[in-house]
Order: sequence, then C-alpha cells, then structure tokens
Amino acid sequence: MLEQSNRALKLVQLNKVKTASKKPRSNRRLLLGSILPVSLVILWEAASNMGIIEAHLLPAPSAIIASLYQMVLEGTLWGHLGSTLTRVFAGFFIGTFAAIIIGSLVGYLKIIEELVDPIIQALRSIPSLAWVPLFILWMGIGETSKVTLISVGVFFPVYLNMVAGIRGVDRKLIEVGKIYGFTSFQIVRRIILPASLPSFLTGIRSGLGLGWMFVVAAEIMGASKGLGYLLIVGQNTYSPDTIIGSILLFAILGKLTDWFLKVIEERSLRWQDSLANQH
Amino acid sequence: MLSVEQVSRTFNHKQAGLIDVSFSVEEGEIIGILGTSGCGKSTLLRVLSGLDKEYTGKFSLEKEDVGMMFQEPRLMPWLTVEQNVAFGLKGDQKAIVHELLDTVGLSGFEKHYPKDLSGGMSQRTAIARALVTEPEVLLLDEPFSAVDAFTKMQLQELLLSIWKKKNTTMLLVTHDIDEALYLCDRILILKGQPGVLAEVLTIKQSKPRDRTDPDLASIKAEILHVLDLRETAS
Repeated sequence: MLEQSNRALKLVQLNKVKTASKKPRSNRRLLLGSILPVSLVILWEAASNMGIIEAHLLPAPSAIIASLYQMVLEGTLWGHLGSTLTRVFAGFFIGTFAAIIIGSLVGYLKIIEELVDPIIQALRSIPSLAWVPLFILWMGIGETSKVTLISVGVFFPVYLNMVAGIRGVDRKLIEVGKIYGFTSFQIVRRIILPASLPSFLTGIRSGLGLGWMFVVAAEIMGASKGLGYLLIVGQNTYSPDTIIGSILLFAILGKLTDWFLKVIEERSLRWQDSLANQH
Repeated sequence: MLSVEQVSRTFNHKQAGLIDVSFSVEEGEIIGILGTSGCGKSTLLRVLSGLDKEYTGKFSLEKEDVGMMFQEPRLMPWLTVEQNVAFGLKGDQKAIVHELLDTVGLSGFEKHYPKDLSGGMSQRTAIARALVTEPEVLLLDEPFSAVDAFTKMQLQELLLSIWKKKNTTMLLVTHDIDEALYLCDRILILKGQPGVLAEVLTIKQSKPRDRTDPDLASIKAEILHVLDLRETAS
C-alpha cells in the first residue's frame, strides 16, 4: 500500500517535471485551481437538496443560477450590469487620468511635490466612504456623485504608485539621455515613463480593485439600477438568491477586468528580468 | 582637436575632485587616465561629457561630439538591443545600427532584450550605442571593470579594432594599468585628493601590442613609482 502510494507520488513528480515546460502548465494550473471550488459547489448543492442548509438563508447554487437566468429572460439583468460597469469605467478613467497628470508632476518636479503632496497625503488618510454624505449633499444622488466617489477611490493607489515609480527611476539611465542632449520632455517620454511603467500598471490594477469596492458603496447608498442596487433589493425582499447572485456577478466582473489588465501588464512588461518572466 | 585648460571641479570642501588639469589630445589618439580612487578621474569625464556643469576652466568640446560609455552598460531594459543602439539617433537609421552591431559582433541579437544578454554582450551593445552618433571623442569611464578577465581582453581587442577602422579619439579612464598600457598612446596620471596631473607618459610601441612586452613592464614600474604603489603592488 505504502509502496504503491510512493510510486504514485513519484509519478506525480515526474509529471510535474514534464509539464513544467510551456502550455500544459496552464492547463494543469486551471485543473488544480478548480478542484476546490468545484467540489465546494457540488457539496453545497447536495447539502441544499438534502435540506441540511435552509433555503431561506442560503439557496442552492441551482436556485441562484435560476434566479439570475430569470432576470436575463426578463431583460432586467443587462440594465443592472450596464449601469454598474459604466460607473466603474467612468470612475476608473477619471481617477486614473487625474492620477497620471498629478502623479507625473509630483514625481518629476520637486516644487510641485512640496506644494501638492502634503495635502494629497492628508486627503488620503480620510476613509473614502466618509466622502459619501458630502458628495450626495453636493451632487445629489445621481450619477455624478457615484462616479466622483469611485474616481476618488481609484485615484490614490494609481497616484501613489505613479509617484513611487517615477522616483525610483535609475538616475544612471537618465544620464544616458543627458549625454545625447535630450530635452526634459524627451527624458520624461523616453526614459522616465517607460521605466515607471511597471509601477504604474501595479497602481491601475489596485485602483480598479478599489473602483469595484466603491461602486458597491455608491450603489448601496442610493441607486435605482446596478448590482449594488440588487443587493439592497435582495435584502428588502428576503431573497438571498438575488443577493448571492449579484455577489457572484461582482466576483466575475472584478476577476474579468483584472485579468484583462493583467494580460496588458504581461504583454507590456515582457522585457522585465523578473521571476514571472523566467523560461 | 581637444584641449583642456585648467579644469577644476572639487567636492566636499576641496577634499575630492580635481584641480587645474590641462592637456591636449590629437585626433585619433587614445589617452589613458590613471589614478587611485578619489583622484577625480571619473569627474574629469563627467565634466567633459557635459554631465557636470559645476566646473571652472575651459575645454574645447561640444556636447554633440561626445560619445560616452559607463562602467555599467546602462541599457534601457524595455528596449531591444537594436533599439538601445539607436537610442541617441534622430530618425530611423537602420543601416548604421546594423553596421555597428556587426562591428561589435552582435548580429543576430537585434531583437533580444538586455535581460537576455551576458555582461560582455551588454557592454558591446553599450559600445555600439556610444558610437552610433559618430562622436568625435569617445569617453570611456572604467568600461571593462565589471566584466571577467577574458571578456575584458576581448572587449579591449574590440575597442582596438574600432579604433583601427574609424580612427576614433578616445579618453579611457581606468584603474587597470595593464589595460592602459595595452591600449593607450599617452597615459595621464592623476594623483592626490583632489587630484592633480602628476605625470604624462607617452607609449611609442605600435598597436596591437604584446601584452607581455618587457618594455611595457618597465613603463608599468614607472607608473607604479609615480603612484607610490611600488611596495604594496608588487
């Protein structure tokens, strides 16, 4: 028995070595990574069907899917998805754009840093949800206050990473540009920006994550559409399937958008001499 | 073609840097600058290249006419070998880039990123990048001090072959006496802190030289004597 399992272990290790090269590895990762979630869902479904879990607290996965499907049939789901996505993207782009402009100036010009950085650091220490009542007071509960809140959430991680990235650029590389008589603008465009790209990409990935967090907050505070609104509807109508359904959709959308940024990151950082780029 | 008149640049309340250095360089000459650390060798190159503007004195060299190579390759990691070589060029001049890559023996590596290059190959790329603007003077700041002994000799040969082909004027800062003896027509010895020009030695032997030439060995003894290192170095 023991010998058999040892042999099996060896086989697994052998397979590991073989699959370590190229394509099969990603299949293997997918397979290994899905073992736990898939078995959990099966267990959950079985437990629900046997009545171990009470349906009014935690409905079966099939019931959740069914209620989502119902919304698809009624045509209401797309509206909710659409408004949430629009809010996140609008907030993400505004926040990122502002962070790039301010972050570049602060990172590159000492005087702007001394002028602007203290107040930004002070604003950063305010928990962002504390802005909600003020934004609603100023801008009403329409789209503007929601998008503003999300932009604020996205701004800080992008800004911090942008500034850190620019600060961290090797002075020795900048000297190479100076030897060729580059202007300040050329040095920024050809050396500083590409050199700070890795840090910037890290920033927008965590910015997007915060964007998803803030859209929930914004939509719970008051909305007539969106996945966050569905959460509230589910709470008020005692339908856990709606709540879990929208949580599920948040997870899927968050993962998909992050994956999209990750692909961009990998594509544009192929030159990096990092652990991730080992062949 | 290059004359340097009483150039001074000091740091830390005149405890480091260099003072009153004057010399002139003929076209096609390879000048070695030797000295113990802290005597201002690298500072001299930084002044001549335009990186350090806080100097006094004069020299006749325009910024556009300078190519510079550092101790480290200083390649842009996000650019390929080919793009790195073309870094200082204005516009697209593929032909000259490829000719230089061929000269430094890197044909076939155009599309590689710096992370995939060995130390010697990186320095070859850096040589090509320094030469791509066809500078009148090539400034070399301890260019081979970070590579192993064999790579170092190969790179020295490469530098000589480039000199033969293009008759490039070079200023080579080094702390390797053998390197200076092998490559240079004249050797300037800086001494002290801040450094002053202590001695200028002319080496008449034609290049390429024999690394084991006894005449060079006697010049080496002279250099060691000037540097006051005889007791510790032999």
